[in-house]
Amino acid sequence: MQAFLIQIVILLLIYLIVAVSLNLTLGQSGLLNLGHLGFFGIGAYVSAIASKTYGLSFFFAFLLAASFSALCGFALMSAIKKLSGDYLALATLGFNYVVYTILVNWMSFTGGPVGISGIPRPSFFGWKIATQPEYLFLSAVVSFLIFFFIAYLSKSRFGKVLNAVRDDELAAMALGKNTHKVKVQAMMLSAAFCGVAGSLFAHFITFIDPSLVSVTEVIFILSIVILGGIADNRGTLLATVIIVSLPEALRFLHLPNSAVGPLRQMIFSLILILILLYRPKGLFGKVELK
Amino acid sequence: MLNILPQLIANGLIIGAVYALVAAGFSLLFSTNRHLHFGHGAAITAGAYALYFTLTERRMPISSAIIIALLAAVLVGWLCFVLVYYPLKKKHASAVVLLIAGIGLLIFFENLFVLLFGTDVKVVDYIAVTKGLTILGAVITKLQLFMIAVSLALLYGLFLFLYKNKYGITMRAIANNPELAVLIGIDKTKFYHLSFVIGSFLAGVAGILIALERNVEPIMGTGLMVEGFISAVIGGVASVPGGILGGFILGIVENLGIGFLPSGFKGAIAFTILFIFLIFKPMGLFGIRKGTRGD
Repeated sequence: MQAFLIQIVILLLIYLIVAVSLNLTLGQSGLLNLGHLGFFGIGAYVSAIASKTYGLSFFFAFLLAASFSALCGFALMSAIKKLSGDYLALATLGFNYVVYTILVNWMSFTGGPVGISGIPRPSFFGWKIATQPEYLFLSAVVSFLIFFFIAYLSKSRFGKVLNAVRDDELAAMALGKNTHKVKVQAMMLSAAFCGVAGSLFAHFITFIDPSLVSVTEVIFILSIVILGGIADNRGTLLATVIIVSLPEALRFLHLPNSAVGPLRQMIFSLILILILLYRPKGLFGKVELK
Repeated sequence: MLNILPQLIANGLIIGAVYALVAAGFSLLFSTNRHLHFGHGAAITAGAYALYFTLTERRMPISSAIIIALLAAVLVGWLCFVLVYYPLKKKHASAVVLLIAGIGLLIFFENLFVLLFGTDVKVVDYIAVTKGLTILGAVITKLQLFMIAVSLALLYGLFLFLYKNKYGITMRAIANNPELAVLIGIDKTKFYHLSFVIGSFLAGVAGILIALERNVEPIMGTGLMVEGFISAVIGGVASVPGGILGGFILGIVENLGIGFLPSGFKGAIAFTILFIFLIFKPMGLFGIRKGTRGD
């Protein structure tokens, strides 16, 4: 039971990173980014391949995951810079599909649909993080550092410019702000953090496959951010706890295994639809999606 | 390569006929309702599973099976509108909110089908596999010819409806200028309902055709919808004829692509085309700027 709880808390901390980093683009800068999980997949795979295939230490694999994800964020942002609204949503969702297709088909590198197993647990200069409490410590440190950094960033000048871009891009441009540049910066940061989360995930579960970035998972992360209220980091924290732990309650209903998976997804999608219908600003609510 | 070229083009036309059905429905819904209906994929899957259930599991005659399948598809599409989109619209939710709700609907129904029927691939097995006819160097089965015929007939019917029928013309008027349509006393809501019924009907036909020719699985609707959607973008999302053309173009390009690349890259080919169009020609071939880029 204790091991089970620790595992849930570790996953919670990892998804917290994914959610707050998505909030940086979706919430703070109003970029309708549906491809965020693509970065999670990229981070997980880069880190796994670097440490397993090339024998790099966790520290470097971790940094590589972050920088490669940031690079992909830059590439995505350059591709979609002219788009907004529905088209932006679709292009970013398309990015997710492209990552998925590459992971499934680039067999020699990613292991195809089977994925990569036996990813080594991290070690720092001889200190091997093998037990669950140790991993909990590692993810808590990384997760809280990122959480507070993003919370700080949202309040900083940079965050204010991002909000200005979200609320009225034209006005921000008229004030001489380079709106595209700040959007690219936000996207790269958000991608890098999400890649970090992917790396943490890969080294914790020690097994990854392309289903990490499937569309169903997009719903999961969207429901967290929208339940928490976009651009609201505290709300995101609470929503992560709710959304990650809620389906775990299904375990106690003793349902057959084949029913738990689909039920979990149905719950997420229902929550998402219900929030959009009845509480579009999320739990604490400041900003509405537009 | 050259000797399989006719076959690749034929395969492209066959699947293109199905894409065109999905894309036409998608474009019709988009132009009338002004938001992307991601739940469209659920109507496809509903049609396919209803056909499998009635025909293969319950052994019903094909005619009633098809009617039930179409009703199931229409019901799912219409429920998406009545239960989710319409209440959201009444609250003046933005197109983006409707899009996200649509993804939610898609995932909800996809998993409902997993829960009801399991993840395994179902075979309808109604039409025995026959030896194909050879036409211009390509082997095509009778069923495949039937698919193209059904698709073209329905799309022609849709064209007649939109351009000759009173209701169709009104629907285009709403697509063209919703505010003006309201001013001259058109009840927009009635046509929203109608567009979901017609669009989901076309999606249901696509689902039935795929169920007969290939097989049935929970993710089929999502895949087909993505492809139908890309076809719609190629043609210009708000243009029904553009969507139809886009469907055939996508089908042929994908199949030609598989001639060079491993078949797993089919999805990547489609998305590459999507990106090329979004970046260089976001309005598509026949698209008109209609607030699709959020402005």
